[in-house]
Amino acid sequence: MRSEFNKAEQMPEELAVRIEDLSIKYKINVDTKKTLKNAVMRASKGEKVRMRVVEAVKHLTLDIPHGSVLGIVGANGAGKSTLMRAIAGILPPTEGRITVNGKISTLLALGVGFNPALSGRDNIILGGLASGMSRAEIESKTEEISDFAALPDGFIDMPVRTYSSGMYGRVAFSVAVNMTPDILLLDEALSAGDAAFKEKSFNRMRELCAEARTIVIVSHALQTVNDLCDSAIWLHKGTMLSKGNPEAIVDEYLKFLKVGTLPSNLEDM
Amino acid sequence: MIPYLREFWRRRAFAIELSRFADKAEYLDSKLGKVWLVLNPLLLAMVYFLLVTVIRSGASKTSGLSTLAHILIELFTFYFASNCINGGALSITAGGRLILNQAFPRALLPLSSAISAFWAFLPTLPVYALVVLVGKLFFPHTQIPGLSFTYLWAPFIIACVGITGFGLGLLFATMNVYFRDTNKLLSYITRIWLYSSPVLWRPEILHGWHRIFLFINPLGPTLSATSEVWISGKAPTLAEIIGCLTWAALAVLIGGYFFISRERDFAVRI
Repeated sequence: MRSEFNKAEQMPEELAVRIEDLSIKYKINVDTKKTLKNAVMRASKGEKVRMRVVEAVKHLTLDIPHGSVLGIVGANGAGKSTLMRAIAGILPPTEGRITVNGKISTLLALGVGFNPALSGRDNIILGGLASGMSRAEIESKTEEISDFAALPDGFIDMPVRTYSSGMYGRVAFSVAVNMTPDILLLDEALSAGDAAFKEKSFNRMRELCAEARTIVIVSHALQTVNDLCDSAIWLHKGTMLSKGNPEAIVDEYLKFLKVGTLPSNLEDM
Repeated sequence: MIPYLREFWRRRAFAIELSRFADKAEYLDSKLGKVWLVLNPLLLAMVYFLLVTVIRSGASKTSGLSTLAHILIELFTFYFASNCINGGALSITAGGRLILNQAFPRALLPLSSAISAFWAFLPTLPVYALVVLVGKLFFPHTQIPGLSFTYLWAPFIIACVGITGFGLGLLFATMNVYFRDTNKLLSYITRIWLYSSPVLWRPEILHGWHRIFLFINPLGPTLSATSEVWISGKAPTLAEIIGCLTWAALAVLIGGYFFISRERDFAVRI
């Protein structure tokens, strides 16, 4: 079985991402801390490490066309974040193949490795460089990113540790959406900021779609999935249970959870 | 491997900027700031100089100056390598969020640590030059050379130290992902390594087959060549040059292979 991560190799041009029979398994140590000391102690007692194999994604096949917004729903532990990391090329497929056609920008966990001692401006530059942009490209976008994040006057040059959690999240989101990505991966990233910022974020994402860019969103805010996505998939314990129209998928998911359409499931976190 | 190296090279600006910003963040709240980069090894060199002089029950003034100069330049060089290794070892586990969010060649993180170590090492050279210049004013008959063409060997030796340190940093960075106490062990290894390297003692004291101890030490040939160039005013011997190149190549090849073959596991292990 092949296990590969490829970039735009023999794939129809209209596709941004092609996932073929993807499985991701990894082993986790369920016993002790991962230290040399423990390894030596175990070896001296002739004990073996108890490992558990986690099958995070099982035989998933999916095509994501350019210019589409795909929502991924599912309970905790469904494999949503693992799938996003695999698409981003962060996690290797155990089996199967992922082919990506375009530049990816990610916002997979709030914080994105910001250094709290550095200013927002410095962190924007670092974030951009980490995503593969050149220094000149980032500097030309710094003001745009800063304006989009709507930071109070002067905050862009203050250490990030002085930011409120909302400001922090807004800068992280702003960096991700303003890097002119072909494919934008957002994992629970739409909670940043107030209602006004949320509206601005939605508009920006609609602009990206209009420019034929692709967005994949993982969210527990099911109303967001309904509002923004033009297709959705439901993952459960690593398996894709269904795929199709967002409203239908969200309904199906809610029925499965046996909670019905409660406001708590629909509100944007 | 070739696409990886191509991507690694294309993204080198990220490693350089990461190093610059990490240094900026580290010294932002310190009043003495980057002065500590020089002050730390300088004070340590003074302590070791006193220790060595006491153990030797005193020394003549001229040999005292060359002992001080030897300890200074060797300690600065040794700390350059150990900072590459220690910083590199921690770079992956410390960069957890970045690793979980962005796909980039992970070897850029240990490279960034090696760049930081280089920038920390660079200001120590003028300090060494100043100590030797002032010393030569008071003790003009010292063996330490003034301006000399042998110093042209210094960039080669510094490059070998940096590459060896980076390679070993890759190795220990991978180990630290699997065993989180590797960096603690590394602090003991570094201490023992320091005493068994020609930093507090001159490489000339090893004769005959004992010189093998100099060459089985990854930093032995570079430290010996450092002493040759900066203290004796001679070009490194052929054996030292081969030793420097061999250890640099071995460290990068072994460390690089170990690191790259496991780096896609890092996001799961962190």
